[in-house]
Amino acid sequence: MTLQILLAVSAVLFTFGLVAALTRRNSIMVLVGIELMMGAANLNFIAFWRFSADPQALTGVMFAIFSIAVAAAEAAVGLAIIILVHRRIRSSNVDDAEQLKG
Amino acid sequence: MNDLLQKFNALPWDAIGQWLVLLPAGVMLLAAAGAVALRNLIHAALCLTLSFIALGIVFIALGAEFVGFVQLLVYVGAVAMLIVFAILLTRPSDLAGAMSPFAGFGPVGGILTGAALLIALLAFIFSSPAAKTPMPSMPVAPVAQIGNLLMLDFVVPLQAVGVLLTAALIGAAVLAMEDKKP
Repeated sequence: MTLQILLAVSAVLFTFGLVAALTRRNSIMVLVGIELMMGAANLNFIAFWRFSADPQALTGVMFAIFSIAVAAAEAAVGLAIIILVHRRIRSSNVDDAEQLKG
Repeated sequence: MNDLLQKFNALPWDAIGQWLVLLPAGVMLLAAAGAVALRNLIHAALCLTLSFIALGIVFIALGAEFVGFVQLLVYVGAVAMLIVFAILLTRPSDLAGAMSPFAGFGPVGGILTGAALLIALLAFIFSSPAAKTPMPSMPVAPVAQIGNLLMLDFVVPLQAVGVLLTAALIGAAVLAMEDKKP
């Protein structure tokens, strides 16, 4: 197995996340797309660490751990905002949240 | 007994390790496709959970056991549960009318953007000579060493992430609190 395969898997996963974030109507599914993209980035960190010249430095592993922590914080705040918006406009459809539209 | 051990060691571990990565990776992509395309939100969330589990298995098979278990704990244990709860809390209004699950302009623009990005990424990946390096032997990533690094070299980022998580979770609780205004 070469690095190519892992990077290709990661690219496909990132594309799924991007398509979900761009096309889904429900704001929770937009967040799901963002989480998928985060997962693809973490897979890249681990793949590059696995194929690096000096894996004992554990740089990729460290980066992936911090990335997961930041993703958890992002998910918590994002879902809180979604619930808040839902309480205000009674909808979790991204097209309905247009009060800030000029 | 010795005989069995020899047979066990003689198994083609390189090929097996490769499939231990590729099979969960395939499951992960299928589940992610389900999470993107399924109309039912709960089914999509469960597909997302399956995708996270398979991603954790990929991490473990690649030798990053600690990250794999953190992935399982944080994503499957916390993030997936949060998403399911958020779906349940915001659900009723979505059941009104079986409209398309895709946003206003339909899925075409998003899918075209995604396809363009995918083609560009794959072209770069498959033309790069750096991506053709063969797999080195399995590195060891003992948890004790990860802990040492976190407490010595990475202690400032660790504290920063601690502050970030505290602030984010308090902020999330404040945001989601009911307004008690008259």
